[in-house]
Amino acid sequence: MSVAILAENLTKVYVKRRSLREVALRPFRRAEPVTALSGLSLETRTGEIFGLLGPNGAGKTTFLKILTGLVLPTSGRALVIGVDVAQDDRAVKRSIGFVTSDERSFYWRLSGRENLDFFARLYGLDAASARRVSADLLREMDMESVADRSFMSYSTGMKQRLAIARALLHDPPVLCLDEPTRSLDPIAAKHLRRFVVDRLNRQRGKTVLLATHNLPEAEEMCSRLVVLDRGRIVRQGSVAAITAGLPGRDHYVLSVRGLEAPPSDPRWRLEVERQDDGIARLAAEVERDGRAFSDLLRAILDSRGTIVSCARREPSLQEVFDLMEPDPGGRIG
Amino acid sequence: MKTLRTLVAFIKRDFLIEVSYRTSFLLQAFGIVFSVLIWYFVSRVVNAPPTTPGLEGVDYFAYVLLGLALLHYLSSALMSFGGKVRGEQMTGTLEAMLLTPTPIGTIVLGSSLWEFLLTSIKVIAYLVVGRLFFGVVIHLDSLLPALLIIALTVLAFSGIGILSAAFVLYLKRGDPITYLVASGSALVGGVFYPPEDMPRWLGGWSHLLPITYALRALRRALLRGSRFSELLPDIEVLVLFVAVLLPIGILAFRFAVRKARQEGSLVQY
Repeated sequence: MSVAILAENLTKVYVKRRSLREVALRPFRRAEPVTALSGLSLETRTGEIFGLLGPNGAGKTTFLKILTGLVLPTSGRALVIGVDVAQDDRAVKRSIGFVTSDERSFYWRLSGRENLDFFARLYGLDAASARRVSADLLREMDMESVADRSFMSYSTGMKQRLAIARALLHDPPVLCLDEPTRSLDPIAAKHLRRFVVDRLNRQRGKTVLLATHNLPEAEEMCSRLVVLDRGRIVRQGSVAAITAGLPGRDHYVLSVRGLEAPPSDPRWRLEVERQDDGIARLAAEVERDGRAFSDLLRAILDSRGTIVSCARREPSLQEVFDLMEPDPGGRIG
Repeated sequence: MKTLRTLVAFIKRDFLIEVSYRTSFLLQAFGIVFSVLIWYFVSRVVNAPPTTPGLEGVDYFAYVLLGLALLHYLSSALMSFGGKVRGEQMTGTLEAMLLTPTPIGTIVLGSSLWEFLLTSIKVIAYLVVGRLFFGVVIHLDSLLPALLIIALTVLAFSGIGILSAAFVLYLKRGDPITYLVASGSALVGGVFYPPEDMPRWLGGWSHLLPITYALRALRRALLRGSRFSELLPDIEVLVLFVAVLLPIGILAFRFAVRKARQEGSLVQY
């Protein structure tokens, strides 16, 4: 499988512009640099949905803006379908469709169709092709009946669907979605996720780069992802691979019959829920030292309990976030 | 050809937005008639004889009518480039346009075209109203040189306008140059009265402004029907202004775009 997006040691340092007051008070003091991305390297394969996960200010948007040529990297390089963004951003823009959750990026007094027609022309389509492609996309997005209504009358869900339609006008192989479901209700968000996965990724083979801080969304959609924090990759791989290597404790769910008293030990913490059929459900958080889990099982058996079932629970990405150190401040998105 | 098609798309976009504000179109037409009427009555009070120094031998009403018409071009050129960039930054549509492969220069130029087109319609309306209802004599045989003068004037003004857009992109605010040029042109550029009638220390500044040469040449062409050779000295100065101001504007704009991309502030406002 070929590489769709490649980032090599990408660094972006912003220099905070000083206010007139600061310049007047400390004229010789240098402006304070803020690192938004620090040596970021990643590779997305053609046809996959790749997640950029991280809290606000982790560097997700900066990375997407570098990919789309809106921001120049301080060092390192980014390639989209083999083209260096810093060398030929216009060629890269032909390969990328960008979807933001910003409703303001359309002309509110124009209709959805007029908006699409205009942006299609900016992607280099002639008038006839622009009209045809816009009509096709409006149909695909199930927006034909509202195509000639002004954009300002659209619901948030319609606006977001139109944003996706706009990103597809030039039929790019790569789609960048920057928190696409941020302002959608749960049903609209679910539909949009299904549309991206089923229609765009599976049917049309688009490579999707999804920036989100929505953990279930990343888990549902992405085959691989990176977790960013303060401009650095702190985890990468599949969701399972990311959560597997976490330091700290493992989580298990056990069903035990005949357990009189739950065994106690500083290496584990148990939450016990007794059920009517005499089976106790144990949620166990066990220290990852290689022996603690075996000792817990032995302790249960020694106390005449019968283990009916035992399953390891994969930690959620929320727990990945929880394990990150708190940020002292000064983040840039 | 492709660029031309893109520019047409911008004109269509702005036309659709303009007509969506239905009353605005009508009010602008009324505004032109009111403006001509006001200056007609002012000219009757002023009653300056055509022999007044600087009036070029024409009636004061005709003189000020041409001044007003060209002032519209100046305002369009100075305000539309920077103003449109700022407007699109604030509405969020600039980012959407910058995500397309259309060069940023085409985006800025395209966004300003409608304003120039509208101004041209206004200027024609001024002249038509002046001629039909107030008897202003327009020498249509000098139309070609007049168009050349207007084209050079628009290009020279655009140099300053593009410089203003560079300021907006980088500093996020309007620049002091636009304000100075706009006010200075209205004050000493010969729009409402000849700079020759002003004290020398003040009227002398008019030599630094393109509008002075543009207005003199345009009045000579359209109101007096002067031969091309008589217009040539002013046209040469206008060419010089274009040769200096346009490259400065374009270079400053390129610099601003690069700096804004480095700082990540291209779409901030």
